[in-house]
Amino acid sequence: AAGLDRPQVVSHAQQALNYTLFDCKWVPRSARLLCLGSAARGSGLLQLYELRGGRLALLREIEKAKPLKCGTFGATSLQQRYFATGDFGGNLNIWNLEAPEIPVYSVKGHKEIINSIDGVGGLGIGEGAPEIVTGSRDGTVKVWDPRQKDTPVANMEPVQGESKRDCWTVAFGNAYNQEERVVCAGYDNGDIKLFDLKTMSLRWETNIKNGVCSVEFDRKDVNMNKLVATSLEGKFHVFDMRTQHPTKGFASVSEKAQKSTIWQVRHLPQNRDIFMTSGGAGSLHLWKYEYPSQRSKKDSEGAEMGVAGSLSLLQNVTLSTQPISSLDWSPDKKGLCVCGAFDQTVRVLIVTKLNKI
Amino acid sequence: MPVWLREHLWRQTASAVYLSLPVRGLRVTPANIFCTDRYLKVSIPPFLFEAILYAPIDDTNSTAKIGNGIIFFTLYKKEAAMWDSLTLANANKEKLQYLRENAVLKAHEKAKEETEAKKVTKQEHKKYALEATMKLEEAERKRIEDLKEKERQKVTKELELWKEQQDAAEKQKRVQKEGELHQEVEQLKEKKKEKNNKTSISYEGTSETRIKATKGRGSYSMFSENLKEEQLPAPRSAATIKINFTSRVFPTALRESRVAEEEEWLRKQAEAQRTVSADLSELEDLKEEEKNPDWLKDKGNKMFATGNYLAAVNAYNLAVRLNNKLPLLYLNRAACHLKLRNLHKAIEDSSKALELLTPPVPDNENARVKAYVRRGTAFCQLELYTEGLQDYEAALKIDPQNKNIEKDAEKIRHLIQGTTQ
Repeated sequence: AAGLDRPQVVSHAQQALNYTLFDCKWVPRSARLLCLGSAARGSGLLQLYELRGGRLALLREIEKAKPLKCGTFGATSLQQRYFATGDFGGNLNIWNLEAPEIPVYSVKGHKEIINSIDGVGGLGIGEGAPEIVTGSRDGTVKVWDPRQKDTPVANMEPVQGESKRDCWTVAFGNAYNQEERVVCAGYDNGDIKLFDLKTMSLRWETNIKNGVCSVEFDRKDVNMNKLVATSLEGKFHVFDMRTQHPTKGFASVSEKAQKSTIWQVRHLPQNRDIFMTSGGAGSLHLWKYEYPSQRSKKDSEGAEMGVAGSLSLLQNVTLSTQPISSLDWSPDKKGLCVCGAFDQTVRVLIVTKLNKI
Repeated sequence: MPVWLREHLWRQTASAVYLSLPVRGLRVTPANIFCTDRYLKVSIPPFLFEAILYAPIDDTNSTAKIGNGIIFFTLYKKEAAMWDSLTLANANKEKLQYLRENAVLKAHEKAKEETEAKKVTKQEHKKYALEATMKLEEAERKRIEDLKEKERQKVTKELELWKEQQDAAEKQKRVQKEGELHQEVEQLKEKKKEKNNKTSISYEGTSETRIKATKGRGSYSMFSENLKEEQLPAPRSAATIKINFTSRVFPTALRESRVAEEEEWLRKQAEAQRTVSADLSELEDLKEEEKNPDWLKDKGNKMFATGNYLAAVNAYNLAVRLNNKLPLLYLNRAACHLKLRNLHKAIEDSSKALELLTPPVPDNENARVKAYVRRGTAFCQLELYTEGLQDYEAALKIDPQNKNIEKDAEKIRHLIQGTTQ
């Protein structure tokens, strides 16, 4: 039966929460996960759960002044495992979860809510200094180094007088050696901008018409290979980032899958051609990207341009009636993932048969 | 009057009566035979045979066989007894009548009962079929559930195993680290002193706060962190990248745009460009360029700029005759009329311009503001201050940042308050 040979999404454990969940992340090298969000009383909550048997056991609950929107482990070492969060007041904080009363690093980075955060250079992945990038509703994207207080090491802001657009998502990529790094940012008017941090310039920009909810490179620590950008109205685009054409930019293939907003895309850490998208109708779709026979070709003037591949849907499942706003694969166990939805439930899922893909 | 069939033959046994009725040449159908437990009738108009039976019979089991020119009845008696005769002897008319009616009624009831019984059996059959299909589907569903459940259990077991491995690995690591720590503590304390002298203040600041924070965790992590920092590149030198956002014809994101209205506006503009007035007879002697409304508009603008308002009005008039759908013509003509103090004409033209500037979209904002302001000015000069204020406020709503409009609106308000007092 072809149906049962495909990867299945098995619900392993779930937990009902009493606050709005905005982000959930696995703690690296463990079976623990962090949930963060906004409590009804207007404060931020951070909860640490451990996967025990078929259930989630609450280990720790930390309350903070402002509701928390997003967080990442990306810029911390494996021994320390400090967690960086962005909150509704525009503050970036890095917490030591063993002693969370005082942040290890804190800065009021933005004037408005930090919508998205990403970290690179930590966890033994990639090279170069650990850095954190935040994207905010005030239209700016800032890169921070935890060793430098108060001022960002890079700031991408609109020119004077330009009306600002909310930045909804940020992602690091291309960090394959100590100098190279790019930041990709998606905005609410459909702009996607690629900033090169080595040359401190705008490397590429495009507009996909609908607001960009989530961008992610398939791997942060390699020469940039693929970028997935998801947007409102159920569309997402996969860009082939190996070949940049001087005028046409990067080749892309797009897919319109779920009828509602695609909130998140996350690549499987163990296989960079498989990724999962989560939708506004509470559904998850598992996709596989297939490369074309030739990844680049010459156009009429002889300039190299990329060739986009094709996408196939491996599986889809509907878990909830509310949007699934956050998704994270476990870097340690292939197929284990956690997702958080606006129905105040965090679910741990296992995707089977990924070895056979 | 029916024709009675009287030639019938009958014989009986203890339990049954056999009656044969010749019906020469007549076509008999089952509908012609009517039988209840005491009454038997065969009616083939105009022929009629009826018999009030001596004793009741079992009419459900009794049969009638229609043969060639003869009907053969087999009537089973209810009581096994020998009948004296087939029919009741002394049967007077009334009794006959009564019996007949009774018989008919009984027949009706029987028919009803039969249909009801049929219905009930049909229902039951349906129910049975439904239940059977439901059972089948249930079985199928269960099978799939079982498969899924098996997967789930397998996967859970794997997970538990992996978790245990993780925990064991961590414990091991920790033990290892503590062992190493004891050896290295002295060395690193030395190193740290050196570093603190060399590095910049901010560096020290962050590492100190971190020391405070990591106190609870155990000292080894802090030291190993310091070691790693030496291998990392220094923080990037701060820089800013300035960006522009994609502009559209209408500077709103797709989700915010009122695309429908904007499309309508664009379409209207396109159409307006194309309308040419029908009345061209007098205009034949004009030069080619003078028939172009845009050229005329430009002419009018130039003349307005030089102060030649009457000429400007003429130019606009001609342009309007050629194409009366361009709002800007009316707008500019209104300005001319204002300067010429033709206030009523100014109001008319501003109103016409506003009419043409629907639907209200960001693209025609400027034009609409000007139209409102000009009409407002005209009203005020006619001392119709309330109408004027209305127009100024409309203009202010479109363009709240404009200080001049605000000032003028304030002045008008004062004037109104002054006159009412």
